[in-house]
Amino acid sequence: MLSFLRRSYLNFSFMNPQYCCLSRNFSAALPPLLPVQLPSRMETHLWYVVPDEVKSAPLLSKYMELLPQSERDHVLGFRGDQLQKSALLARTLVRTTIARYQVDGHLDPRSLRFKRNIHGKPEVEWETKDGFCPPPLQFNISHTSSLVACGVTINSLIGIDVEEKRRRTKNNILAFAKRYFTAHEVEHLNAIPDSELQQQEFIKLWTLKEAYVKALGKGFSSSPFNTFTIRASSGIAVETLDSPQNLTNNWQFALLELMGSHYVAICLERQETGGAGKTLPIKLTARKTIPFVEDELVSGTNAVVTIGGSVTQF
Amino acid sequence: MAAASTSSFIPLKPRPTPRGLSTIAVLKLGAPLSFSFRRPVLAPARLRISCVAKPETVEKVAKVVKKQLALPAETLVTGDSKFAALGADSLDTVEIVMGLEEEFDISVEEDSAQSIATVQDAADLIEELVRKKCA
Repeated sequence: MLSFLRRSYLNFSFMNPQYCCLSRNFSAALPPLLPVQLPSRMETHLWYVVPDEVKSAPLLSKYMELLPQSERDHVLGFRGDQLQKSALLARTLVRTTIARYQVDGHLDPRSLRFKRNIHGKPEVEWETKDGFCPPPLQFNISHTSSLVACGVTINSLIGIDVEEKRRRTKNNILAFAKRYFTAHEVEHLNAIPDSELQQQEFIKLWTLKEAYVKALGKGFSSSPFNTFTIRASSGIAVETLDSPQNLTNNWQFALLELMGSHYVAICLERQETGGAGKTLPIKLTARKTIPFVEDELVSGTNAVVTIGGSVTQF
Repeated sequence: MAAASTSSFIPLKPRPTPRGLSTIAVLKLGAPLSFSFRRPVLAPARLRISCVAKPETVEKVAKVVKKQLALPAETLVTGDSKFAALGADSLDTVEIVMGLEEEFDISVEEDSAQSIATVQDAADLIEELVRKKCA
């Protein structure tokens, strides 16, 4: 299917310099994206796509049309159809999601430009037009071959990570944890007698640690996994090894089980407390989507189950 | 073979960093200059002179990668192959590094483990560590 894409996109007029600058006439065949209000300061929006549910080659071809040359090349650089598809859906999801918030009139997903911050974290590069004040929109994406997810907030730094619940490591979990996690985390895993539960706990820890580093946005080398501990006994908190007495209160976490098959870890920069240092729950709105085809609000259903952290679903 | 100089190992940095390339030259007696282009590196930038990894090392790395990612043996994996493009996520990358540590009896710094991007990067790193170990 993707080889079809490679052939067909070569015939497109993407070399036309006007291609990226159009607003509404991007495609007669695609319906408009359902617009959505920006999240409020306390809200987090989670959007996800299930690649197996996106089967239409013409639709995938249209998604490819949304991307600039460099991103198409990046997608096609992945080995094999499945990897290319999830890479394509990741770029499509982030572009179409941000475009929905219509912060600048009707936004064409193709017109969005992205850049990387000094540490390599992707950001939107808003056009600086007269009178246009770009929204402090923060986003982060994560994907596996079976799930592509994008988290969006206003103002609050966000990191998300998704993983299949049944993901297996090739190495022994404790050997791996001893090498890469902190002593406390090894102890926590070691104390779990059931190997299946231990495996799941490991995956949960991994996604939480990934989400934290991605939220920090400074790259993995600035926060190696053995320099901070995720404590998940009552609530979830992070403790950095260089200041063990102070749980790092700047960050809050949510751990979700999605569709019974995936863990989604979200790490957010704490915006406000509820007075006396009390943490307010994360207000989460989750939507499953096939861009331009369907959107489904799934928060509050059993598709999205909170298994860690303090979360209110809307 | 003469190397221009030696310097301490610099951890490899995360893959998506569009910066200027740094060029590393190796001077071999009686052989033309060969250049090895490195993935862009983040600050702190330190000049690093090292050897280009032997083909056998690249081959061994490719074998470990194929095993971790459960790729068919005949999959073409070369020095330029990016782990991510082959389907490795960050957990796979760290597991690959663990596999390489075992295969070559070396120890890779934690902050490098999650940052290696290509087979060549891994091979070069391994040779550097092996060389230092034997020095």
